Parts: sequence; C-alpha cells; structure tokens
Amino acid sequence: MPLDALSDVSDEALLVLYANGDRAAARALTIRLTPRMLAFAGRILGDRAEAEDVAQEAMLRLWRVAPDWRQGEAQVATWLYRVASNLCTDRLRRRKRQAATTLEDAPDLPDGAPGVVAALIAGDRIRALEAALAALPERQRQAVVLRHIEGLGNPEIAAVMDIGVEAVESLTARGKRALTALLAGQRAELGYEDDGHDARQ
Amino acid sequence: MMRDSDLDDLFADLRVVRAEAPASLLMRVLEDAELHQPQPVALRAAPAPRRLWSLLAGGGLGGGGVLAGLATATLAGFWIGFAQPLPVTTLTAALWQQETLADDEGLDLVELIPTLDTYLPEG
Repeated sequence: MPLDALSDVSDEALLVLYANGDRAAARALTIRLTPRMLAFAGRILGDRAEAEDVAQEAMLRLWRVAPDWRQGEAQVATWLYRVASNLCTDRLRRRKRQAATTLEDAPDLPDGAPGVVAALIAGDRIRALEAALAALPERQRQAVVLRHIEGLGNPEIAAVMDIGVEAVESLTARGKRALTALLAGQRAELGYEDDGHDARQ
Repeated sequence: MMRDSDLDDLFADLRVVRAEAPASLLMRVLEDAELHQPQPVALRAAPAPRRLWSLLAGGGLGGGGVLAGLATATLAGFWIGFAQPLPVTTLTAALWQQETLADDEGLDLVELIPTLDTYLPEG
C-alpha cells in the first residue's frame, strides 16, 4: 500500500493495521511519529544523540504494545509523548546522580543562563529560546514544550505528565514567566524594538 | 521587556523548525518495527468433506468398538430375516395376533354405509 494512501489514516488505525501485519502502516507510523519524538526529546534533553535513543526506545515500546492496544482509551501520540517524557526524566535523573548540581535545584527565575547570552550575541533567536528553555526546571520545560511547541492541549499534557490540568496550567504559566525573565532586556537582540513593533518587519 | 506576544512569536519560530529525523534513526526504528510486528494469521483451507469409509476408519462414528457393533447388528439382522428361527416366528405370531384371529375365526363385517339401492326403485 503506498504511503500516500495512509496519510489520512489516524495513528490508531495505523497501529491496528501494524498489529495485523501491515508493513506499510509501520513505515507510515515511523515517518509520522519518530521526528516528533526526536524533536520533543531533543528539547527536553538538549542532546541529539540521547534524543535519538529516546525516540527509538519510545517507538520500540509502541511496537511492543501494538497487539494489546485498546482502541479508544488513549491517543497514540499522547501515549508516545508520555513514554518519551518518562524516558527523558529517567535520563535527566541519571545525569543528576552523575553531576553534583541538579536541574531541580536551579532557581525558577535565573538571572540569565550563559547559553542564552551566547545565542543572543550570535543573533540566533531559535538558539536563544532553546537555551532559555534548557535553563527551566524539568517539569516546567516539559509543560511549556508540550503546550507551546508541540501544540498539545492541557488535558493531553496532564495525561502525559500524569498530573492535573490545573497543575499543567500552573507549570506553563510559571515556565512562560521564567522564559520572559530569562530573555528580559534582550528584546532588541531578539529582533524586537522597544516601541513594540517587530524589528524584523 | 519581553511580552507574551513576543514569546509567542518565538514559540512559533521554534515550531516550524522541526527536527528532521536522520535516515539512520528511521531505519533503526523500522527494523525494530519489523522485528516485533505480529505475523498475520495464515488462512487455512476448509477441510475436505470426509468420505464414508474415511469416516468409519477415522473413528468418525465413535471408533472401532462402535463399528464392530454396527457390523454385528447388520449381520444378525440379515440372518434373522433369512433363517426365521422358531422363536422369532412365535414372537411374530404373537405380535400379529389380530391377523391370526382374522384368518382363523373371521370377523363380523358391518356395513356402515348402506347401499343406495333402497332409495332408488321407481314407482
């Protein structure tokens, strides 16, 4: 079956097809979901090689659960984000054990991470935001990335992070405030003028 | 001072920068998929209808013991039918007693439907 024919098929239907032995469904799911998991893990971990490992492991768990997948109970992407999120958390905890400093101990509103300054000097808005995201506490970073970059709704994020919707709202709000503080004073370097007009225009 | 709208612009910039998964990663994921993919259930042809002898020989009627019993009963039936041994004849006579009575003593015949001849004379 050509991949184009599967472009409109839902993730769940593709997973059922995969469980029934359809190889085209496996290819479609791989192409559709692997880049998303890679991007998500990369933004949480800040390490490309580790992000690839997480994306591969998350997809592997999806293949394993496929025969027992209960339709209608969860969205495939949400389930996969949750697996990837847990894998990222495991790796971050491992890092903590290995390093003397921990991300959880980092202040919510740091004065400015060195990476942010370096990225701003280079005039790279994307890198500046990524560096600011990396400076956030882990849970805030996960919530902000899932909400504002991956585009998940609050109930989905609650399911991914295994917390309540109110906690998600709190985390994203605190995360955005922290990002604003991290990038404060760098508005011009980011391409914005002080009068509120976008300098890029 | 950064504003919410500025931050939203930055998020939008980051959203369009989708990480391209390297081909090597996609290949590894696909290999895992093939390794763990359940095999489709093979379709089996319907079994051919069993013939009488294969049914008998294969125990379709209950096995050798049942088959031997059927054969014995068949032979016994033929022998009784042809030889008609005395006990059987006596039994038959007892069972068909009515016929015996009708032959030996006769039965009074009652005409339940009278003839129409009585009503037909001219006059």
